Amino acid sequence: MYRRKVLKDKHRIVVKIGTSSLSYPNGRMNFHSIEKLSYVLSALRRRGIQVVLVTSGAIGVGAGRLGLTEKPKELAKKQALAAVGQAELMKIYQKFFGEFNQTVSQVLLTKDVVTIPSRNLNAKRTIMKLLEMDIIPIINENDTIATNEIEFGDNDTLSAIVASLVEADLLVILSDIDGLYSADPRTEMSAEIIHTVPEITPELEKLASGTGSSFSTGGMVTKISAAKICTNDGIDCIITSGSDPSIVFDILEGREVGTHFIARNEKLLNHV
Amino acid sequence: MRNQTIVVRIEISTLLDRDGKINHRKMDRLAMVLTNLHNSGMHVLVVTSGAIALGTEKLKLRCTPDSLVEMQAAASVGQAELIRWYQHFFDGYNQIVAQVLLTSDIIGYPQRVENTRNTFNTLLDMSIIPIINENDPVSTADIEFDDNYPLALIVAEIAQADFIVIKMEMNGKYMIVPGGNSLAVVVDGETELQEKLESFSRVKIPGERNGVVSFPASIGEIVF
Repeated sequence: MYRRKVLKDKHRIVVKIGTSSLSYPNGRMNFHSIEKLSYVLSALRRRGIQVVLVTSGAIGVGAGRLGLTEKPKELAKKQALAAVGQAELMKIYQKFFGEFNQTVSQVLLTKDVVTIPSRNLNAKRTIMKLLEMDIIPIINENDTIATNEIEFGDNDTLSAIVASLVEADLLVILSDIDGLYSADPRTEMSAEIIHTVPEITPELEKLASGTGSSFSTGGMVTKISAAKICTNDGIDCIITSGSDPSIVFDILEGREVGTHFIARNEKLLNHV
Repeated sequence: MRNQTIVVRIEISTLLDRDGKINHRKMDRLAMVLTNLHNSGMHVLVVTSGAIALGTEKLKLRCTPDSLVEMQAAASVGQAELIRWYQHFFDGYNQIVAQVLLTSDIIGYPQRVENTRNTFNTLLDMSIIPIINENDPVSTADIEFDDNYPLALIVAEIAQADFIVIKMEMNGKYMIVPGGNSLAVVVDGETELQEKLESFSRVKIPGERNGVVSFPASIGEIVF
């Protein structure tokens, strides 16, 4: 429990929100949730905490805008919907953050940000500048030009790369599951949430991938790998449910919600 | 016969008031003209500048920020504003738009070009107008060219466009450059624009693409 105290003193955080937290199961936008997220992040910014938002949802919003009832499977169509949906998504964020008088901006990244040093530096400097200007940068993958649909794997990985890029001290992944469980909570009655992960061991990774396929499709594998990128880089990571975004307040108060993956260098420091 | 494809390059300065704010009347007119062009059966792609200008205005920076990184930050804020305006005015004509952000080094990555072309084609087939801009927050390569002239050529190349409107002035004068032709033509008003485009398409061999890459070298010197 004491380890959670470190979370009370975070200055630069990256919050990743998944499609499931932004929309209803029927695919329509959950404005209440987006409004709450905008409120929470604007309030943090006002406290002096620098906030970066990594968002998913462009394809879903695009599908909604065009009145499609199901998401297409074809890559070009997905990219087209992302181009429509990203514009819509930003409009919605601008509207809600605007209510709290918070300026936001859009940054679309491709894998180049990892592989091309000049692009890495450019993206980093731009985001740092935005934070310095009290703006909340809203980041998504530039799906339209991505060479394949799994450039980053997903936005979990993107969020970890961003956290590392901007030298954040905390990554919060808001998802549809409230943390890492000792077993699949949907099938195992005995499954318990693991609140603290001091080290991401091969056993833990195996647990996340699970033998049951349903457990792994929850996307825990990519979340663990995101947590690994962060913790290796000295960044704490929390994976928790995004059904109520004000959970970010609880996290920063050191309350035991979700699963806390402890940053490696911090762990080393504790041992000294 | 395949739809004629046209790339329209918009310089934001033609859409702004003196105080740096969007001129609603001009923007509305632009949305109407382009939607109409689209309705006539052409595939329309828009290459627009304006992210830095609108970001500067939104952030109340005194003038265009001169440090590169400030320009990029302003572009990040302003792009969101810019696309919102396009959505707003095209919405008035029931026209859906999409945002595509490119870096001009794309031309060196054939697979990316291919993907972007597929995305363009898919959007156009779905009756959506792509609004394209340079992805300034992650690239400084072309940030100085905020007028997006090189980007318009790249987009024309990717989209295998038949025409580019290089300069569009909201006073009703347009300049159109037919691909592969060394003649640039200034036309007066939308009717003439439409007629001119139709006459170009008439002399074309149906289905054959004009060589959009071979633009006249003197294009920058043409005076309006």
